[in-house]
Amino acid sequence: LWQIDFFKDLRQMGSMEDSTGRSIWGGTELASRIPPNEYERKVQERIGLLKYLTHSSAEPDSAMALIAAGSQTPPEAGSHTRLTPEEIVREYAPRVYNLARRMLGNAVDAEDVTQDVFLQVLRKLPTFRGESAFPTWLYRVTVNSALAYRRKRSVREGRRVQEPLDEFQEDGSHRGPIRHWTGGPLQQILDRETHLLIEDAIARLPEGYRDVYVLADVEGLPNAEIGEMLRLSIPAVKSRLHRARLEMRRTLAPHFEETAP
Amino acid sequence: MITCRELVELLLDFIAGELLPECRNAAEQHLKDCPQCLAYLEGYHRIVQLSRHLPAEPMPPHLVRRLQTMLQENCNDQLSGNREGTVIDM
Repeated sequence: LWQIDFFKDLRQMGSMEDSTGRSIWGGTELASRIPPNEYERKVQERIGLLKYLTHSSAEPDSAMALIAAGSQTPPEAGSHTRLTPEEIVREYAPRVYNLARRMLGNAVDAEDVTQDVFLQVLRKLPTFRGESAFPTWLYRVTVNSALAYRRKRSVREGRRVQEPLDEFQEDGSHRGPIRHWTGGPLQQILDRETHLLIEDAIARLPEGYRDVYVLADVEGLPNAEIGEMLRLSIPAVKSRLHRARLEMRRTLAPHFEETAP
Repeated sequence: MITCRELVELLLDFIAGELLPECRNAAEQHLKDCPQCLAYLEGYHRIVQLSRHLPAEPMPPHLVRRLQTMLQENCNDQLSGNREGTVIDM
């Protein structure tokens, strides 16, 4: 039996188990042991997480919005979500695969990493005790696996980001003309050709910058979490992210800037 | 007044809303007076918006089958009789 226990810390603060040992939602004993605000916050946090996990298309932002809304109904007491192998693959594997694909820059390597991640999930899940949320844990396993896979590859990429200094004159002004971007973001968000251009630009980023960019700007993880995963300080994460964005802008500008009059 | 290069170095914190008030005022003043930097900011910010909404590529069907088989075999081994699936304790 694998149990991904999202409510461990709640249970530790008060009784969250019924007579059969199943976790239950809240309980008067728990509510009386911790301040009401703290209890409410934790419950809402888990509602958001639950919604996020049960809606694979939802972005983490959506989960945060659900948490902020604070009007969701808690699941019934003693409820469990029973997932078949098909459902586990459908819910979680695309996230693992796409994160690995973007970090490694190709689909074939991502297949190997996805398989490795699921082997690790099978091996380690029985010992998973909810120290972090399951998606966070899965992200960590995926990032570690992708980094290990890359270390095994003997060929290192020699790409570097261009120094921002190169884009400016000595007096600090822009070296060349900067034009506005065509179209609107909403239209481009839906455009397949735009997706391909951005994916290609991400794949061209140097590895160290690409990792941070994918985790921050594609996956939407906070800088502190990225720092922990990649063993970087927060200033180092921010520096790499900024350089990666400048490089992305430079690569994509010729495609999106208005043409010269 | 800050230079264009200095403005560009502030963009990450600027769009995250993490600049100190003094720096933010200096950045906003520069952007009012410099259409080049305003266009630069537009592109920088657009990239972030578009990246955040990139769709997931579908997994190759053979990988999906391989993972499902792997999980199913593991289920059969470990659950020994509990074939309803994996319990995620909510």
